[in-house]
Amino acid sequence: MDLTHSLLGAVDFGLLPQQVVNGILLGSIYALIALGYTMVYGVLRLINFAHGEVFMLGAYVSLFVAWGLGFGPGPVSPDQTSNWVNLVIMLVASMGVCAAVGMFIEFFAYRPMRNQPRIASLITAIGVSLLLQYAGALFLPNSPPVPIREEVNPYRANVLDVPLKPKSADLLAQTKQAQVALDEAERTLKDTVAAEGIKSEFDLSPEGKKVRDARNAARTKATVTQNAYDQSGLSLRIPYGQLIMFLTSIGLMLILRHVVMNTAPGRAMRAVSLDYDSASLMGVNVGRIITLTFAIGSALAGAGAMMNATFLGTPLTTFFGMQPGVKAFVAAVLGGIGNIPGAVLGGLLMGIAETLVVWVGYGDYKDAIAFVILILVLLFRPGGLLGSAKVEKV
Amino acid sequence: MYWPVRLASILAAVGGCFLLDALARGVDDYARRLIVLAGIWVILSVSLNLINGITGQFSIGHAAFWQVGAYTAGYLSVTFHGKWGIDGLPWMILMMALGALMAAVAGLIVGLPSLRLRGDYLAIVTLGFGEIIRIVVQNQKPLGEAYGMNVQPKFQTVWLVWLMAIVCIAVCRNLLRTAHGLPFLAVREDEVAAGAMGVNVTQVKVTAFLIGSAFAGVAGALLAHYEGFISPQMFKMEQSFIILTMVVLGGTGSITGATIAAVALFYLPERLRDAPPVTGAALLGGLIGTIVAVVLVKRTVDRFHGPKIGAATRYIGSVVAGIVLSLALGAGFGMIPKLASQSFEAEKLRMVIFAGVLIILMLIRPQGILGTNEFSLDWVKSLLRKRKAVEA
Repeated sequence: MDLTHSLLGAVDFGLLPQQVVNGILLGSIYALIALGYTMVYGVLRLINFAHGEVFMLGAYVSLFVAWGLGFGPGPVSPDQTSNWVNLVIMLVASMGVCAAVGMFIEFFAYRPMRNQPRIASLITAIGVSLLLQYAGALFLPNSPPVPIREEVNPYRANVLDVPLKPKSADLLAQTKQAQVALDEAERTLKDTVAAEGIKSEFDLSPEGKKVRDARNAARTKATVTQNAYDQSGLSLRIPYGQLIMFLTSIGLMLILRHVVMNTAPGRAMRAVSLDYDSASLMGVNVGRIITLTFAIGSALAGAGAMMNATFLGTPLTTFFGMQPGVKAFVAAVLGGIGNIPGAVLGGLLMGIAETLVVWVGYGDYKDAIAFVILILVLLFRPGGLLGSAKVEKV
Repeated sequence: MYWPVRLASILAAVGGCFLLDALARGVDDYARRLIVLAGIWVILSVSLNLINGITGQFSIGHAAFWQVGAYTAGYLSVTFHGKWGIDGLPWMILMMALGALMAAVAGLIVGLPSLRLRGDYLAIVTLGFGEIIRIVVQNQKPLGEAYGMNVQPKFQTVWLVWLMAIVCIAVCRNLLRTAHGLPFLAVREDEVAAGAMGVNVTQVKVTAFLIGSAFAGVAGALLAHYEGFISPQMFKMEQSFIILTMVVLGGTGSITGATIAAVALFYLPERLRDAPPVTGAALLGGLIGTIVAVVLVKRTVDRFHGPKIGAATRYIGSVVAGIVLSLALGAGFGMIPKLASQSFEAEKLRMVIFAGVLIILMLIRPQGILGTNEFSLDWVKSLLRKRKAVEA
């Protein structure tokens, strides 16, 4: 598709509510990852480029746990059933390993760079990100991309159906009428076949063929009215898995909010992000707070990765984290980097923007929209939606 | 003495290019292709160095300008070649000029927002522009979409590529020797102070992006007409990172460093293509040896304050220790059947090596191997003088 495609050519506005809901569900994952970016940026003023790769490792941890739980790459026995406990194990494992990886990266790559210019840490971050992608590709199952088996999700068949507009009663009556007519026509045809004493409806006499044509017409009408009836109402369809994904994300964000606002380490974290040097003078153990920030941020990315890979079924490669990572970073900037509610808002907006772009018919450009938003935000509101742009002082 | 020296050096540069061309006729196609590509990487690395190292604007989307140049030249050649009555070298020069022009326009578009951004934000915006350009190109039918497009006619000469590389180096070097060039350094050192001293910071930043991206566009036009085929896969984000690694390794701000690093970092991994697969044992041994060497070097950098000779001995000792340890451990791990039987294609290690080089360099020498120094007779003399002073 090229750029000359008319903007709203093939858009069905009846699908808009569904698209927005899909966007919010997807956005909750972006919000989880964006929180990691924003927290690290808040305390260290560092764009943690490797965050997307932590996300990728989290997805692989979930994959391996799923294999360990019996949902391996080979055929799965039919009596193998899953339940919510499996999902919780995967989630906890992924969060735990990601937290450890985050702390490890911080300790070995970023801590020695603390006194160097910021660009040096940024280059290190890019290096760590590339290293995880390409070294991971040597050891992790990578090609062909491996999805987590959908059997591990016990709720895969359940869909929440929220009716928005009731189906047309008129069409229902028509559908029933058409069904009755079809039954009638079928019966007539059967009688005709029996009367002519032949085995199938394909060897009919000319009169019999007319009966068959009438039956076919009735069948077509029944199908058409049935379809019209099915499409007449409007309802939101949300798979249970994605609903769980959304609710878990919200739950984790509330826990994070509690930790940051109401606990001693959270207060220290806010102090460090406000003023690094003063915080250390006031007795905050800055090193430990930074480690904690990396651990929390990476654990959230791990949770996002597990849910993304399990409920959305994206196949994994070691480059799995790149696109979500970049989009989540844009989400963090959009909301105002360093600002926790901003990251959540930015994430949800990012998700909505992405689904809407696909809905409008520009699916090929879905990965570019993030950068377009980013550039617009930086040009017109560099501080982000909820942040405030600081004037640099000499 | 100014003009004779200048004239002689121009003649020597041009003559050198033709000499290289003549020498390259003697080698096989594969080796000649490596020579040409090395020249293209030199252009990319030196032009990024102008933006990143000399002006201090951290850009990590350089491959996008390369792509703009390549696709502009490729598309125009396919569409218009033979219709305007020019062919051969003049056509190639026209294509390079147009590729450079389009890339410069792209550079202008990226440069303008960079006026408001610094450091890491600018990095992300340039990355984003790179991705947008790649995604837009790979959705255009006339440009062959994701598959790519064939470019006709091919124009395969060694001398033109290397001549452009030398032009690029000369432009950057001479710029820094003029009153127009010093503001670039001033902006790198301190933007606010430079502005206070009357430097037009906006103009300097945009000029750096314009010149840097124009040369990347030239590199693109050369690549398109040398390979005869271009595809979006050739200009992925990782190419930008490779160019960045070259600039950073050579020393951000050092043209000599960028040139040498480009040749080295292009040529060495290219050798890996024919290298035999590496066993798991050798890989593990190499990894541990590298870590040990890096830790030793890092300790010397941080804690050793003696004479330079002592530091140099320690560096060499650390590296030798690392190599010996790698070999010994590699042989030792080779006894473990599981490790010895695993094998990894050397080709796949390419990007791992780039990433490792970036991290290690940032840990032990963030300013790059040459720092901001240039290779020149004066520099060598000053090094020798310092050594004598230390010995005295």
